[in-house]
Amino acid sequence: MREDFPILQRKINGYPLVYLDNAATTQKPASVINAMNDYYANSNANVHRAVHTLAGEATEGYESCRTALKERFNTDKAIITSGTTEAINLVAHAWGRANLSDGDAIILTEMEHHSDIVPWQMLAQEKNIELRYVPVMEDLTLDMELFESAIEGAKLVCVVHISNVLGVCNPIEEIVSIANKHGAKVLLDAAQSAPHQDIDFKSIGVDFMAFSAHKMCGPTGIGALLVADDAFEEMQPFMGGGDMIETVSIHGSTYQTNEQKFEAGTPRIAEAIGWTEALNWLSSINIVAEHKRILESARWLASKLRAMGMNVYGRHDDHDAAVVSFLHPTMNSEDLAHLLDARGFAVRTGHHCAQPLLDRLQITGTLRVSLYFYNTQEEVESFIEYFSEILERFA
Amino acid sequence: MTYSSELSELIEEFKEIDDKMERLEMVFDLADEVNLLPPQEWSEATRVVGCQSEAHVRVEVINACVNLESGADSKLVQGLMGILTLAIHGTEVAEALKLTPDFATEMGVLNTLSPSRSNGFRNMFDKVMRQIEQIQGD
Repeated sequence: MREDFPILQRKINGYPLVYLDNAATTQKPASVINAMNDYYANSNANVHRAVHTLAGEATEGYESCRTALKERFNTDKAIITSGTTEAINLVAHAWGRANLSDGDAIILTEMEHHSDIVPWQMLAQEKNIELRYVPVMEDLTLDMELFESAIEGAKLVCVVHISNVLGVCNPIEEIVSIANKHGAKVLLDAAQSAPHQDIDFKSIGVDFMAFSAHKMCGPTGIGALLVADDAFEEMQPFMGGGDMIETVSIHGSTYQTNEQKFEAGTPRIAEAIGWTEALNWLSSINIVAEHKRILESARWLASKLRAMGMNVYGRHDDHDAAVVSFLHPTMNSEDLAHLLDARGFAVRTGHHCAQPLLDRLQITGTLRVSLYFYNTQEEVESFIEYFSEILERFA
Repeated sequence: MTYSSELSELIEEFKEIDDKMERLEMVFDLADEVNLLPPQEWSEATRVVGCQSEAHVRVEVINACVNLESGADSKLVQGLMGILTLAIHGTEVAEALKLTPDFATEMGVLNTLSPSRSNGFRNMFDKVMRQIEQIQGD
């Protein structure tokens, strides 16, 4: 598998790259890079209306991404966006503005990424909407009792599937069941789960699901919003422009009725073609088995770090992500990250765009190791070996 | 520009090191060179804005010479403060004001760090220089 990824051959400061920052973005297989190059070298054209050969190839390439998304996630509607953030903002603008009004409530959780908080704060300010936050408990799970009591009168629940800081997987089936009973729609931030799980959109029962290509071996700058049919009918166009219209006159315009209604302007054609290849690559491996393998490595890593006196934030249950967030009792995380980089280990530090969660944990940041399918147990062991050396020299 | 012999030696020493880890180790060691501004004396007035870590500096002019106290919650940041301390602490104000952040570039120390840390160093340098100018103007 590793030979599919050219970058994994790279040396950093003379040492083999050990890329452990996959929750931020994943590396790309050669098939993705080649497909994007091939599009620009041989098929570059704008999509949808022109009749020439190149336009046909570009359209086919772009739409093949939508088809692949629909097949992989079992959905009828896949709107292509610039990523998770734009997908969530699209729900806020296209659905929220049209369907929420003064006094309505939205439920969020303290575990959300900023991209699933800020758009709702902006909408709340504009439309006088109440935001209710479900707390995270000491065991790093959501307080479902409080969720049940908060849902009364709420029109929308926005919840992250897997926390990018903790790796904790939230009980979406239970959340959907409670939301359905109270007539609330559910938006799932699947940025961290879509790359690690086989998700059946129709079965999981959420109304909106947002995720990005670049966290699942695809290019940056592209993502998707999957939408249930009834919610799709309730969405109003957000961005106006080319491609999203049926007719335009000086008196007004009519809009497309399919996903293109929400894809104004020239879309991300090369990125869509690259993403299709990434989805093909993912289909070629056994995600369930691979996830189990890297989760075992994450558990091993967490136990070693705990034994070394680190404060580890995470529980690593079966459906959780292979993410290990931790803090040294005294050493600055960024200092550690610099020292790790000196020997080729790429990790992330900081607040991970989840400051409310860190406030709840009463910390300002963590050092995060996040694994993906191309990582090996040997890499994790070499991380521990070198991390021990760092502590001996610098702690 | 001509540097003090101590700073010139440090620049040469850094230039000779290729290994990133050794460079970082040197920066770590230089954290001990600061005249420590203890955390209990950190305030908004001493904070270096734009630095990802908690970084604080206090500048005074005593007998026409710069007195620099500093501290950070990161050893690397405090190491950069140590370098600045070697560069300007105890020097005459007029001499200190001639210094530009180019010495750190020449040293190669900023290339060892992330872009945000490099910017943090420049912010710290600017804050110290502004304070010296301000004291001189008073």
